[in-house]
Amino acid sequence: MTGVSAAVTLHGVTKAFPLGNGRTLEALNVQRWAVPAGRCTVLTGPSGSGKTTLLNLIAGVSLPTAGTVAVHDTEISALPEPQRDRFRAKHIGYVFQTFNLLSAFTALENVMLSMMFAGAIPNEQRRRAGEILARLGLGARLAHKPHQLSRGEQQRVAIARALANHPPLILADEPCASLDASTAREVLDELLSVCREAGTTLLVVSHESSVLAAGDQVVDITAINRAKHRVSVAERV
Amino acid sequence: MTILTVALKYLRGRLVASALTSLAVALGVSLVIACVLLSRGIQQGFIEGTTDYSLLVGAKGSPTQLVLNIVFRMDAPTPNISASLYRQLRDDPRVEVAVPVAMGDAYQGYRYVATTGSYFAAFPWRRKTFAISEGRFFRDDPPEQPAYEAVLGADAARRTGLRVGDRFHEGEEMAEYPLTVVGILRPTNSADDRAIFFSLASYWQMNEISREMKVKPLTAVLVRAKRMSDLPGLHRGFNVTADTQAVFPSAVLLNIFNVLSLVDEVVAIILAIVGLVVVLYLFVSMYSATLERQREIATMRALGARRATILGIVLLESCAMAVIGGALGIAGGHGVAYLGAAVLAGRGGPVANLFVVSALEPVVFASAVVLGALAGLLPAVLAYRTEVAENLAPLS
Ligand SMILES: Nc1ncnc2c1ncn2[C@@H]1O[C@H](COP(=O)(O)OP(=O)(O)OP(=O)(O)O)[C@@H](O)[C@H]1O
Ligand SMILES: [Mg+2]
Repeated sequence: MTGVSAAVTLHGVTKAFPLGNGRTLEALNVQRWAVPAGRCTVLTGPSGSGKTTLLNLIAGVSLPTAGTVAVHDTEISALPEPQRDRFRAKHIGYVFQTFNLLSAFTALENVMLSMMFAGAIPNEQRRRAGEILARLGLGARLAHKPHQLSRGEQQRVAIARALANHPPLILADEPCASLDASTAREVLDELLSVCREAGTTLLVVSHESSVLAAGDQVVDITAINRAKHRVSVAERV
Repeated sequence: MTILTVALKYLRGRLVASALTSLAVALGVSLVIACVLLSRGIQQGFIEGTTDYSLLVGAKGSPTQLVLNIVFRMDAPTPNISASLYRQLRDDPRVEVAVPVAMGDAYQGYRYVATTGSYFAAFPWRRKTFAISEGRFFRDDPPEQPAYEAVLGADAARRTGLRVGDRFHEGEEMAEYPLTVVGILRPTNSADDRAIFFSLASYWQMNEISREMKVKPLTAVLVRAKRMSDLPGLHRGFNVTADTQAVFPSAVLLNIFNVLSLVDEVVAIILAIVGLVVVLYLFVSMYSATLERQREIATMRALGARRATILGIVLLESCAMAVIGGALGIAGGHGVAYLGAAVLAGRGGPVANLFVVSALEPVVFASAVVLGALAGLLPAVLAYRTEVAENLAPLS
């Protein structure tokens, strides 16, 4: 990590899921990890190895059982929930494996919504959302509902939504898994070029060779995750 | 976008469900509005019918029957009193106005009411006003020279089709004494709209029994006392005699209302149950919407929406349906009440003007919105508590 500042830093992070009856499953145990700022890091690893769990911790969607997660200088794992939500809205863009667009809203409104959560006023939302969608080649699709869009277009809307607040960090959980190879390639190129242009840090979970090839660095989660995926029984008090 | 536009978009997104839910609210609200307006209109109608005269003097018997028959033309006529009683009252220094009334048969179901011109007179204290829409009032003819002139209430004229100048009689035996329509009254929204008025002289001559009688009969005398303090004395005076009674119409009315208050209570309970069912319906609608939407809620949270924002969206949706349903229901309730009043009036029921300014509409509307918020509260809390990570997982 020499010479490059870190966009994300993890210290002694563990995540254990309760399974009932006092038993827990340790899914993640990362002692020390940093994601370099302004680069594209690809996270790879077998199913169930904790990739999504890791992204959720970084996004502050869930909290670590132990340890600290920092995004730039902010220790997101220590923030109270409303502040975490506000921080996420402003500083982190999240792209999901399934696109998770809101079905009752048009492409434009889906993008505007994430800006509303970050506190933008409606006029500002409309202007910037239109710009970003146009930038991603969806200028003629603003008024379409998700079901009226192709999968590639839907994922572009999801990317536009993640980019809308100009966050310094974008998390993408298998953004191309639901797309065919050529659409996946196009969408990925868009994502990469927008992020490179803005100097945005990109953390992508993926298995696909094309994605692996496009990243600045590839990290296998099994190399940093020391969790044994063991079920442990908590000591009775 | 704002929380409100998000809520409204969600409502539009499931248009059929939201429309049906709003409709349920509208039906509930209109039922409440219609019931309250109608029962208030009916009560008011009865009150307006009785308040002009403070005392009613008639033959001994049931006070309720006397009031219902004389003021509202319901129930059977009470026995006769003698016309000398009227003169006695008219000349009593405590009496300001005395109006003699004799109830006769009916023409095509429209009651014959024999009286004098004072029945229609506009006294300063009178709430009710009579006006002629066509023709003129009948003349107070001398007893030996009846003119057989009739003035028709608005409904009686409209339904029988009689016009000024027409002659009519009911039954063969009355063919000898046909009445001539000389005037038609404007609607008064009271039982008088369904009456056919003519002079006492005509009445006494038309009726074969009274024709022979030396002392002519009346059914009752409407009395207005000069001073309120004279009322008890007048009241007592006519009640101690063997064959007359004096009643306070408003007191009799109060009695009737007291009996009917049980009905009011039953109606109130039914309305409360209807309200409960509507609230439940709204709750179920919002609850299932929220359940269906857990993944979208998790997505919004992952995009940075706060729990309070999610709570607000669901509450606003629920309130918006209550607002829409409430507004429709208030309009619809007035419509139903209006129709109901028209039907009642057509059957001779006294119904006062329904559309008076009151707190009813704002109160019902505000209650609907508050209940809407309550119905949405549990679903909103469910939405508020939606776990993000669990609900974000890709569908398998
Ligand atoms: N809410 C939860 N409760 C219990 N166990 C969970 C929960 N979420 C995840 N796990 C477990 O944690 C481990 C890591 O899951 P995670 O979803 O992070 O894997 P992943 O690397 O994203 O896998 P995939 O490639 O299939 O998406 C898995 O064993 C999973 O069963
Ligand atoms: Mg995953």
